Amino acid sequence: MTRALSLRDNATAPAPAEAAPRSSFVPPLVAGLLVAGVLVYIQVADLDAIEARSLAFGELLVRLGEHVRLVIVSTLVVVALGVPLGILLSRPAAGPLQPPVLAVANAGQAIPSIGILVLLALLYDVGFAMAVISLVVYALLPVLRNTMVGLRHVDRSIIDAARGMGMGSRRILFTVELPLAVPVMLAGIRVALILNVGVATLATYTDAGGLGDLIERGIVFYRMPILLSGCLLTIALALLVDWLAGVAETRLRPRGL
Amino acid sequence: MSFVDYVAGNFEIISFLLLQHLQVVLLAVGLATAISVGVAIGTERSPRARSALLAVSGTILTIPSFALFGLLIPVFGLGVAPTILALTVYAIFPILRNTVTGLEHVDSAVIDAARGMGMSSGRLLRIVRLPLAWPVILNGIRVATIMTVAIAAIGAAVRGPGLGELIFRGLARMGGANALNETLSGVVAIVAVALLLDVLFVLIGKITTPRGLHA
Amino acid sequence: MPEQFHPGTGAQSDVEISLREVSKRYPASDADAVRPLSIDIARGEFLVLVGPSGCGKTTTLRMINRLVEPSGGEIWVDGKNTAHVDPDELRRHIGYVIQQVGLLPHLSIGENVGLVPKMLDWSKERIRQRVDELLDLVGLDPDTYRSRYPKQLSGGQQQRVGVARALAADPPVMLMDEPFGAIDPITRGHLQDEFLKLQARIRKTIVFVTHDIDEALRLGDRIAIFDEDARLAQLDTPLAILTSPADEFVRSFIGDGAAIRRLSLLRVGDLPAVPETSTGTGIEVDPGETVSAVLEKILAAGLDSAVVRGRGSLTVQDMLLATAARDESAVAS
Repeated sequence: MTRALSLRDNATAPAPAEAAPRSSFVPPLVAGLLVAGVLVYIQVADLDAIEARSLAFGELLVRLGEHVRLVIVSTLVVVALGVPLGILLSRPAAGPLQPPVLAVANAGQAIPSIGILVLLALLYDVGFAMAVISLVVYALLPVLRNTMVGLRHVDRSIIDAARGMGMGSRRILFTVELPLAVPVMLAGIRVALILNVGVATLATYTDAGGLGDLIERGIVFYRMPILLSGCLLTIALALLVDWLAGVAETRLRPRGL
Repeated sequence: MSFVDYVAGNFEIISFLLLQHLQVVLLAVGLATAISVGVAIGTERSPRARSALLAVSGTILTIPSFALFGLLIPVFGLGVAPTILALTVYAIFPILRNTVTGLEHVDSAVIDAARGMGMSSGRLLRIVRLPLAWPVILNGIRVATIMTVAIAAIGAAVRGPGLGELIFRGLARMGGANALNETLSGVVAIVAVALLLDVLFVLIGKITTPRGLHA
Repeated sequence: MPEQFHPGTGAQSDVEISLREVSKRYPASDADAVRPLSIDIARGEFLVLVGPSGCGKTTTLRMINRLVEPSGGEIWVDGKNTAHVDPDELRRHIGYVIQQVGLLPHLSIGENVGLVPKMLDWSKERIRQRVDELLDLVGLDPDTYRSRYPKQLSGGQQQRVGVARALAADPPVMLMDEPFGAIDPITRGHLQDEFLKLQARIRKTIVFVTHDIDEALRLGDRIAIFDEDARLAQLDTPLAILTSPADEFVRSFIGDGAAIRRLSLLRVGDLPAVPETSTGTGIEVDPGETVSAVLEKILAAGLDSAVVRGRGSLTVQDMLLATAARDESAVAS
């Protein structure tokens, strides 16, 4: 999956957002149609033994479960690590650390996700835990960066005003800075979530399962039904997760911003 | 065998794959640039079509690349074609978005003055709007390129060309003597390609940005 | 002068621009942005459109070069109905100057000035000569400024370039939309003076938009005053507007001090002087100087009269009385 998503938040203009409200029902609709199409196809199509085994309903649920578990666990860890770390790094005392951390965060975009996954597997181990670590390493950067950038871009005069009315720095952080930085932070978390959905498709290569398993098996056995089902279900999941994240983003944003 | 020894010993294959990687990326980004700039200009009179296309290309970015590569196999088979096509599709959004933004944000006074002196809309686009939007467009191309370099690694999963092959070879030989070196050389080379292109874009930007915009 | 497209005063009576019942209404609005308006603008005339924001003055201006298409009526420029002329072709023969100048930031000053001639397929050599000539004309040394970029110039210098650019293809007509509006007051005063001198040489037909009544009074041969509802309140010479405002709106728009302002519009050469009997009774002044400037000089020198070259002498009292008398005659006519 792509680092690309993190590029969305340096958008110079929120261009796609204009179209979002109108078309917001489209992604879940498409996702639903894809899932329904795949399920119908599996029922109807004349599948050989390998295909039938890979595409059994129970098997699909297991793969989906693995995928979702990878995404949820790694995203939770990313938020739990990235947000506090970002806050710490944005405190004045950590000032000198900021530029190098941001530089690494930006340069990290050049590392391919499959590279991290395979390297960690070769160095340590395969399996679920290692896959989660890979996903976390990969998705931490956008959350960290957006937390720092969001806090840094809070209007100085508002902080000044808060200080002027006698707020301490801790109170300013929780009542002024963090709420105002929430939209940017949420955007970073959404990016991390989408990245995780994508990178988790590659976890099959390190024995951590997921929907990528179907795609890989489809390629290895050159079985188009398995390949296509895997791809379409993955795409459906990605569309749905992005849509849910978008809805959550709008809901969680403090009113008035 | 140390990593340095490995790289020295396999320099030929690594540099061959690196060149392949570069070619695939540049071809895809070139195609995406032509498509994006064309679409941005072609949809100037139809903002609805434009924002719909932006939304679609933005949504495509959320699709896991492994799934998109896989989806193209039944149509294009394994190898170069699905890799280039998928990379092109991914590269469109950053370029399209920046082209649209760049064209829309040209100072309206400059456009008013240019129209007032009798420039046709074609000439206005050619000698005013595109040159002034160029730094923003170029930045979109840069972002798309860096992103594509990383995604191209996954192309190896569908037998595509490029440095991803080293990563997957290492994986296939897990436990073998040079597995780690193989994968590591692929990752390092990919990062090197990305950083190299990044520097190149800074240079291109310096050279091609009209002088009056620096002053 | 190559600028003198229509030389001589004989052409003054010709109509260069004719607005005939021109109106503009925007689709989303239920009121006219410009109410049906008819004005004939003579060749070489300097007409100022003035009024508060929203009075339709800029829209009127932009309808002349068809940057805005009229909803009704016709506009004739140089004997042609503009509706039947290709808009780009039309604009290439009408100079256009706007408040934000709008120089192309990626082109040098020389290239900016040479844009329209280039579009008109002039030869490189002819463009080069023309650019230098124009930079000279607007008071910028060609060798210093030709290869600079807009960002390297001050606001006042940029607007000089804007004027030079508008004059490039020697258009008979210039449209100017608050050209000095964004410039600091002192520079603005200089630019207005210089522009008046320039206009005296090149005699373009100018339509000039401003919200500043002082600028209008200073520059215009005639002034059209509009109110907030886009109604043409008065169309007349500056002196006549100061002397006899058409209604309460015009009176309040002019503000206080109309009598004093008249002194800066009248020239001493226009006043009846007493033929000189003895020399050396006062300072010598040109007939072209304004009454206010001459009064200033006399008072500063501690005298009470001046000698108008070739006319005779004028006392302070003469000047004030004559000004008042002229007002009455202006009212009578």
